[in-house]
Parts: sequence; structure tokens; C-alpha cells
Amino acid sequence: MTQKAGWRPYLAPLILALAVWVYGPAVFTAVLSVMKWNLTTPPSGLVGLDNYASLFRHPEFARAAGQTILSALALLPFATIIPLVLAVMLWQRPGRASVVYRALLFVPVVVAPVAVATAWKFLLNPLQGLMNRILEVFGIPPVNWLGDPGTALLVLVAITAAKVVAFNLVLYTATLSGIDRALVSAAELEGATRWEISRFIVGPHVARTTVVLALLSVVLAGQWTFTSVSVLTQGGPDGVTDSVYYRIYALGFQFFDTGAASAAGVLVLLAFAVLATAWSVVRRSRRASH
Amino acid sequence: MHPTDRLRPAVAHALWHLVLAGASLAMAFPMLWSLLTSFKGPQDVFSPSPLPWPATLDNYAAVLSSWPVGMLVGNTFIMSAGVAAGQLVIAVLAGFALVVLAPRMRPAVLSACTIALAVPPQAIIIPQFLLTTRLGWQNSELGLIVPQLGTSALAVLLLVEHVAAVPAAQIEAAALQGARPIETLWHVVLPAIRPAILAVGILVFITTWNEYLWPLLIAPRSHDATVQIGLAQFQGEGGTDYGALMAASVLTSLPIVVVYIIASRRIIDSFIKAGLRP
Repeated sequence: MTQKAGWRPYLAPLILALAVWVYGPAVFTAVLSVMKWNLTTPPSGLVGLDNYASLFRHPEFARAAGQTILSALALLPFATIIPLVLAVMLWQRPGRASVVYRALLFVPVVVAPVAVATAWKFLLNPLQGLMNRILEVFGIPPVNWLGDPGTALLVLVAITAAKVVAFNLVLYTATLSGIDRALVSAAELEGATRWEISRFIVGPHVARTTVVLALLSVVLAGQWTFTSVSVLTQGGPDGVTDSVYYRIYALGFQFFDTGAASAAGVLVLLAFAVLATAWSVVRRSRRASH
Repeated sequence: MHPTDRLRPAVAHALWHLVLAGASLAMAFPMLWSLLTSFKGPQDVFSPSPLPWPATLDNYAAVLSSWPVGMLVGNTFIMSAGVAAGQLVIAVLAGFALVVLAPRMRPAVLSACTIALAVPPQAIIIPQFLLTTRLGWQNSELGLIVPQLGTSALAVLLLVEHVAAVPAAQIEAAALQGARPIETLWHVVLPAIRPAILAVGILVFITTWNEYLWPLLIAPRSHDATVQIGLAQFQGEGGTDYGALMAASVLTSLPIVVVYIIASRRIIDSFIKAGLRP
């Protein structure tokens, strides 16, 4: 259809929504980051890079950034190899059992993070929780999982890991269902083993999805951890579960330091711009290899 | 040659069940345990025995009488349905424009959507919050719904491919018969992509239902709150009544899990069509 006129009203709602609630706020965050502003008082003028300087003067932000990156790296296997193996296993033997397993494996994608955090708080109760009861059987003294700086970040990464595995399992399942079953049957008739099918048919099919998922999960995982941190630890104990996302929230809505929170937001956006550039390089190489 | 191929098929099959059953249990365990605990009496709440015996519904009775479940669920339902409906309208209109009316805009607009998708919500939340409060939308469904339409990008990326899959001949035939674009959209495109609309709508509904940060900032007061905020507050206050807490947790998440399991096939199909195939 060649009605060139008249597309504007169709595209306007999307453009408006993106401009007002995403791109506008991103620009405004940058503006706020060079202003001195406490949410309770009117803005009192430009302060240049003072807000950034203050972020780097206090060790909390650098520490939160380090922990965010560490968590993302720890989540990489849960974003790639683990959901891939599970997805291939489900794909190999379609049937009623697969349907049941798939439904159970998808649970962490849909259950509210608050409900999951609540369940873990109960399971990890230092006095009577199931986890410590199990340790007791093996003669291990009780652990204060969420109160001990040595274990708290581990617990939060594990909670997020379940969600990352489940989410990427959905995406791998979608990718695998694009494989032509007839091709697989033909390979089987030719006497190909299951391993050879995985290696020569499935492997090439999912290789690039894996790169994309690794990047995507780095993007999303920190945000997914936010709710667990907010409900379970509020960044503690001793700041070990703090992340840049929680820091922005704490600076902006607990200390009402709009300037510093916005500066932190800009630094996160810059980090993402770097990641996005990496992503587009991968995509370009993907297109070139086709 | 892979080791399992040397084993007898029955052993390989048993191994397959073992790994998947183990993984399934690990993944669903916290929610399964919450479900089981919600039927335990106060003396058994911390019991390591999985079976709730004697089983009781007292926890549910306690939650329903002391916690405004109906109101919280109502608030959350309005928010989730509003966001899902709004995003679907935005995405269907945009998808139609990008495929049929102005295809040359497609690469640029889809790039803008992809970038918007990658922006972490916390990084832009302060201006969003300031704008919403300036508009006077705090503690209102408007404040909960409208700003969340900014995350329409995913719905657009998913639906545009479905619109593109509608045979061009059908669309051109409608135009030749003198149909206006809106009539073509309504009578030709919408019926063809109805399953995808349903799948994307359910996906957005579930995501919004589980949203925590935005409702926490905009509607923290108990009678405007959503289930997530209510559950977090319930946990903060009455943290010792774990039976009731688990019942509350089950009441607020189980319906969503059931909806998802029923719809998951369709949701996966919509991902496939949106080009997740490499």
C-alpha cells in the first residue's frame, strides 16, 4: 500500500511515549547531574561535575559498581551454558514429561520477585529455616545467610541466577524450535549420534543467540537483583549487596540527593552505551558472516 | 562420540529424567515450599517435612480477613490491564505504520525501540518520578499506568514482525477496494495477528503485575498499593507469621503462574516469529 500520507497519527503514540518517558528523562538525568538539588528544596544552580566528584570521593559508589560487575560475571554461565543444556535436553525428547519439566523450569520467570524474596527469607531464617536445618543434619553450624557479609551477595546472585536460567531457557526454546525436525530425522537415518546432531546441527544454530543472551543477561540481571536487594538486605550487610541500581535509588529517594543520584544514573547510561556498541559490533559481524 | 550414546538407551533416559527433574525442583523449589507451607498450622510452619499434615486453611482465612487482598489485587489488575492495553494499542498502531504506511521509517524506529529497551529503569527514574508528581499523578492509577507505557518498545519489536507476516496481497486488496488505512488495520491486520496480540498482552500483563520499583515510588500508601508493595510491607511488619505470609505470597502469584503456563506456548511462538531465530 502506498498511502504515504497519514502514517503520523499511527506512529505518534509510540514516539510520544518514548520521548516523554524514556529519552526525555535520559536527557533530563544528565541535566540534573550537573545541578545541586535536594528533592525537598528548589534547584540551586549549576555545580559542574561536583556530583560526579562526590560519587568518586565516597567509596560506596565504586564498591557498588564493582559488585554489580562481579554479579554480572558470576551470572554468565547461568545465562548461557546451563539454560542451553536444559533447552537442548527438552528439545531432544519432546513429550508429556518435557511439557511438565518446561512448565516447572519457567516458574522463576513469572513469579513476582517479591514473592521469591519472601520465600527465601523464610528458607534462610537463621534460627529455624529449612536451609540451616539441612546443614544441621550434616553437623554444620547455622549460617546467618543474609546477615553475614560472606554469604549475602552469594544468596542474591543465586536468586537472580534462577531467574536468568529460566528467562534464557524460554529464549533458547524459541530458538531451538526454529530447527527443522526433518533435518534431524534425516541425520538420524544416516546414523548420526545424538552428540553429532547437537554438535553439527544445534551448535551452529544457537551459537550467536548465546552471544546475544550473554549480553542481554548482563543488561537485565542487575535490575532483576534490585527487588531482592530492596526486600531482603537494603544493600547490607556492610554494603556487600549494594549495586549501582540500588545506589541510585538510595541516593535519590532515601538521601534525596537528586544531583548525586542523577550523576550515578548518567554513569550507568554511559556504561550501557559501551555495551550497546559492543552489541552492534557483534550484530554487524553476524550479518557479515551470513 | 558422546558418553551417553554408549550407555543403554534406558539408562540415558533415566539420566535425562534425573537431570531435568533435579533442575525443575531446584528452580521451582522456593515457590513450591511457599505453597506447601501455606497449608501448615503454626506448630508445623518450620517443620522440615514437605507435606502439610494436618493441612489447614487457617492461613488463608487469616490473610483474607486481615489483609486487603481484594483491594490490592484490584489495584494491580487495573494497573496491569491498563498498561497491557495501552502498550498493545501503541504497538499495533506503530507496527501497522512501520510495515504498511511508512516502511522507510522502520529501521530507525526499531533501533530507537531497541535502545529504549536497554536503558536501565533506575537510571532515568528520577525525572520520571518528578514529571509524574508535577502532573499530580501520585497515588493514582494514571501515575501507575501512563509512565509504564514508555516500556512499549518490547511489544513493538514483537508485534511488528507479526504485522509483516500478514500477506501483502490481502492488505493491497483492501486498499484497492477503497478501505481507509484504519479499516484495513481493523478488518485485515487485526484478525490475522490476534494470537500474537493475546500472547504479547499476557506477557506485558505479567511483567506489570510483578513490577516493584515504580509502584513503590508512586503509590506506597496501603489503599493505592499494588500486591507487590503490599506483600513487601506485610513481610516487613508481621514478619513472624510465616504461614500467613506464605498464603499471601501464594494468593498474589499463583494466578499469574497458571496464566503463564497456559499461555507459554503462544508467548514462545511470538518470540520465534519476532526473529529470535539466528
